[in-house]
Amino acid sequence: MSDADFRRQSLEHLDALYNFAMYLTRKPAEAEDLVQETYLRAYRFSHRFEQGTHLRAWLFQILRNTFLTFYRLREREAPLAEDGVPDWDAPMFHEAPDDDPRVLEAHTDLERALRRLPEEFRTVLLLAEVEGLPLEEVAQVMACPVGTVKSRIFRAKERLRTLLRDYEGK
Amino acid sequence: MSEPLDPTDETLGRRLAAELPRHAAPARLRASIAEAMTPRPARTWWLAPALAAAATALVLVLFFVPLLPRIAPADPVQRLARAVVSEHTRALLWGSRQPEIAPAGWEWLSQESGISLPKMFAGDDRLTLIAAEPVYLDQRRGVALYYRDVDGHQVTYVVLPAPKGVRIAPNDSRRVRIADRWRPALLVDNGFSLWAWNQGELICFIVSDMVSATDLEQFKDYFVRLRTATEPRPAY
Repeated sequence: MSDADFRRQSLEHLDALYNFAMYLTRKPAEAEDLVQETYLRAYRFSHRFEQGTHLRAWLFQILRNTFLTFYRLREREAPLAEDGVPDWDAPMFHEAPDDDPRVLEAHTDLERALRRLPEEFRTVLLLAEVEGLPLEEVAQVMACPVGTVKSRIFRAKERLRTLLRDYEGK
Repeated sequence: MSEPLDPTDETLGRRLAAELPRHAAPARLRASIAEAMTPRPARTWWLAPALAAAATALVLVLFFVPLLPRIAPADPVQRLARAVVSEHTRALLWGSRQPEIAPAGWEWLSQESGISLPKMFAGDDRLTLIAAEPVYLDQRRGVALYYRDVDGHQVTYVVLPAPKGVRIAPNDSRRVRIADRWRPALLVDNGFSLWAWNQGELICFIVSDMVSATDLEQFKDYFVRLRTATEPRPAY
């Protein structure tokens, strides 16, 4: 695939990638950074892309890996106890606080419930149900077997439904 | 008891696809990514080696410049003048090596320099003799007398044996008529003014940092004072 073809085909997935990044980071500025970094990495390693495989899944995989390495690293550095010693018991990934003005507001119970899911569950639902990726491609993105993807979708929906029931009961 | 969960629940999946708002990428993001992915035109292939060669040449030039031979003036008088200016500068910066003036020292000075001074300018109301010493300039022994004027200018009077055939030509354009009696040449070297003239087999210089038009008039007066009152001769 020539550079021009790669550029054209990869840019066709920009909106989907940005949407996914928005649900991961919840901040437009960070989502833009994440997508930009994803494209730079993809372009840099475009020679490693195997012709005939799914470009969309490859791009989602790069985006998620970038998010996990880059953003989780930053999140890991953030939670320091008052004495300056890292609090290793703190979770590695944090939900952005809702009172942060840079965070996109959740308008529906569905959005609120989705935000409360762990990243693995949120990602699997976004890829499979929102973006409509086949299970094989979701498995490629998440670097796990298809069976695991099915299991995660099941458990994610179960958790999501419980959360929605809580919201409706309030 | 909670209702049983349906693992194949597609309703929730459809809700997610339908109800979750989609966020479109901003146009500026698309533009910046497209620009970042556009390959830049390759730099001219010869630019890097040419710059490297130029930098290497510059370093070599800077390294070897101090080792290159200095270009000496072709005019022997100018070459002597440069040596006299160097001596004047040295005395100006670090003082003379023989700061004490004693009548008993004149004999020694004459022996060491090869120049005798049966008559010499010992100073007056404007100029004070501060030192006298033998010098070795441009492979010649000579004598240097150092004066300081009331304004703080150092004036150095240097007498050297004139190299064979070296004379300031009568029609030299640098000659200046002074008091209708003398016509020394006025030289300029390295920011200093010099009077230069032949006196028998000797060549004499008076050097100072008096370069402005006003100072040059004063410098002419110093020439007259020194020239009138000093009679250098070869000692042997």
